[in-house]
Amino acid sequence: MSKRIQIFKGILWFIVGLAAAVTVVRFTRGLGTSTALSDTTPWGLWVGFDVMGGVALAAGGFVVAAIVYIFRQEKYHAAARPAVLTAMLGYSAVAVGLLYDLGLPWNIWHAMIYWNPRSPLFEVAWCVMLYLTVLVFEFVPVFLERTRFQKAYRFFLKLQLPLVVLGIMLSTLHQSSLGSLILIMPFRLHALWYTPLLPELFFLSAICLGMIVVIFESTITSWLYERKPETEMLSGLGRLAAIGLSIYMAVRLIDLGRQGKFGLIFDGSSASTLFLIEMGLLTFLPLCMFAIPAVRRNPNGLFIASTLGLSGLVFNRINASGLAQVWATGSDYFPFWTEFVISFGIVAGFALIFFFIQEHFPVDAEIWEGQEKLRKLQLFRLPRFDRMSRIWLGDAGFAARRVYSVLFVVAFALALALVPWSPLVDTTPVERARGKDVLRVGFPVGTVQFPHKEHVDRLGQESCGTCHHLHKVGDSGTPCSECHRDMYLSTRIFDHYFHVGQLQGNASCIECHPSEEPKVAATTKACSECHKKDMMAATSRVKEFAGANAPGMRQAMHALCIECHRTEWEKVEVKEKKPDLFRCATCHRTPVRHRDELRQQRENEELEVAGFAGG
Amino acid sequence: MIQDPCILNDVTKCIGCEECVAACKKVNDLPAEDAPPRVGHSDDGLTADRWTSIVRLPEGANVRKQCRHCLEPACVSVCPVGALKKTPEGPVTYDKSLCMGCRYCMMGCPFGIPRYEWDSVNPSIRKCVMCFEQMAAGKIQKPACVEACPKEATFFGSREQMLAEAKRRIAAEPDLYIDHVWGEHEVGGTSVLYVSGFDLSFLNWQGSGELGDQALPDLTWAALRKVPAEFIGMGTLMTGIWWVIDRRMRRQRAEAEEPERDDE
Repeated sequence: MSKRIQIFKGILWFIVGLAAAVTVVRFTRGLGTSTALSDTTPWGLWVGFDVMGGVALAAGGFVVAAIVYIFRQEKYHAAARPAVLTAMLGYSAVAVGLLYDLGLPWNIWHAMIYWNPRSPLFEVAWCVMLYLTVLVFEFVPVFLERTRFQKAYRFFLKLQLPLVVLGIMLSTLHQSSLGSLILIMPFRLHALWYTPLLPELFFLSAICLGMIVVIFESTITSWLYERKPETEMLSGLGRLAAIGLSIYMAVRLIDLGRQGKFGLIFDGSSASTLFLIEMGLLTFLPLCMFAIPAVRRNPNGLFIASTLGLSGLVFNRINASGLAQVWATGSDYFPFWTEFVISFGIVAGFALIFFFIQEHFPVDAEIWEGQEKLRKLQLFRLPRFDRMSRIWLGDAGFAARRVYSVLFVVAFALALALVPWSPLVDTTPVERARGKDVLRVGFPVGTVQFPHKEHVDRLGQESCGTCHHLHKVGDSGTPCSECHRDMYLSTRIFDHYFHVGQLQGNASCIECHPSEEPKVAATTKACSECHKKDMMAATSRVKEFAGANAPGMRQAMHALCIECHRTEWEKVEVKEKKPDLFRCATCHRTPVRHRDELRQQRENEELEVAGFAGG
Repeated sequence: MIQDPCILNDVTKCIGCEECVAACKKVNDLPAEDAPPRVGHSDDGLTADRWTSIVRLPEGANVRKQCRHCLEPACVSVCPVGALKKTPEGPVTYDKSLCMGCRYCMMGCPFGIPRYEWDSVNPSIRKCVMCFEQMAAGKIQKPACVEACPKEATFFGSREQMLAEAKRRIAAEPDLYIDHVWGEHEVGGTSVLYVSGFDLSFLNWQGSGELGDQALPDLTWAALRKVPAEFIGMGTLMTGIWWVIDRRMRRQRAEAEEPERDDE
């Protein structure tokens, strides 16, 4: 086996190892921990790349099958089997990708029994299932060819033609239904991508992709297995791809013109940049390369052109299904690294299966014969042993497999150590309350009415400790935001290192940790046992400061204010008019959720402060 | 339960007291405190545990946001397994036991209403269901939010009644209101209506402009109804092409064998 393929497989095993670790988090912690998806961006990389892209990569199966079996272009025959294999694995990858992306993957079979024929996703689901079945049947002859089940082999060969026709019928629906999927959200998708022709465009781009994928896959395989690429056949496919791409581009541009959207292409927005990259660099450039005979007869030219074209058309699907939506609407979704790992991990895993099948079954006659020869040689080689330990060293493949295993395990451990185990939560820092009547709590969450003077007057001077239950050492009137630093998240406020320093080093452990007990948080002395004066804990509502974490601002405030307001409200005799004390709106009165207004206000204030400092 | 139930929100009357939110949480058994916000959360205040929220505008206006229970809901039309359902009575309800978690409904909703339990390993779609279960069982006569409103800013009745009431209000005080009932025609009509003194199109998904009066499911249906014809058409076309080419090739092969006989 060549060195290249071994290195390549090593890399693939490493990626699969990373993905395996993320898989653990995905299925034990949920989508919230393993993705950057949110209520504003419910579909992300996994739908765009794995599902949309995966289906696109599988387009080679039906395009080449049509060229070879329907249009009878025999010179492309050698490409048929690898293309069908790629399609079969591509679709399996889509199915696996869906299992990751669905919130309730164990219900995936519901698509079979609970029908909603009006949903494009229903159509997609059925096409995936049916076409995957068809592809398996199309591929069975390859498994059977060199076995003794010749009767079954001939039976499946006879089925070939009807299967190919059925496959093309299903693919037509399927490729276009991915476009229909997006038709219902004109409000989400950027105008450059949204058109009623989306289904037709997706079908056209799938035909182009079909040819480009075969070129890409064939040049890579030839390079990896170090053999001569079938340039003659591939340049023919390249010519077809150029024709396909020009039709695709023409339809797309004419459609844009028809809708009067040409202006949007050059308006300099991020979406227009995205469009120019997609159409110019990744569609028009490969088109030109395929159109030039000298380029498409050169293996390197073929490889570059197909890589560009492939990324362009997959990019188109990612754009249509997600990226352009995010950019058009300004939501700040960028896939989390775990999402990339899963996406590439699935591809890597199926690439390994591809190589396995290619090496063990006659997909590509040349590769398979090479492998068979190696396997036969192996049989006649004497077993080798380690000189010292007398341990069997295994066959030639054994050493490679050992390296793969190590790579897999290392990657698995690495990712397991790096992967986050709790969900991504937005931090909402709390601002220090700046007196007067309004409590400013965080941005952009907003403001809360809190007339400080009125509270002091009503409750008396000695009531400070009711709210200011804890001070920093040497301070009186420490603001809430000092410990309750985040609106929703708790803050760790105990500094062990600082305490060790203050209490003269290691000898002081017993000051807080009883000597006979294990030194853990549970057995430690309560903080207030030493800090009597500076930790007042004057009200029973505030738990005596005992833990190392201060709860989030909201939790702290609600626990403190609501309880007190309730008791005060209950104290009032019914004869009087009850004061409006115990309602949400008592404190939450000002506009709280309008970003621009608040941002303006804050900027003005900052300017003022800066002005004063300067003066 | 009445047919075609509908909620009318009078934006000019709302004081933003959030009694509706509290009542909604109580009736639907939702936790009083929402979970910490996720990165990328929306600004409108709706979360998996808060099915109705008050959007507070700088002018001091308060606008209640909730599921609009469209007459032709996009979410119902896109759900591949029918977990979201437009009940015969009218409210759009959700059945967790059918859901696969594809989140297509969240993508399809033109008002950006459905929320997801991102932090759960067994997540559900969460949104206002117009207290359908409780009302159908006869436990309550009105949705909890309407019942709780202290200022008569939100009403409940059949859609016909509510439309009439909305128009009556606009006619009575034309200076106060803009002459438009939000939800009468938008995306084919909704069962939550608004009357207001200012433009409410910011309630659309991410505030992106006008949605138009066309029902969104029609957009997909225009493509989907062609599917059977496409399927059969493609099959016939491919078989036809194969037949023609195969016949020509057979003839060529026969001709290649023939010539010698012709010479004789």
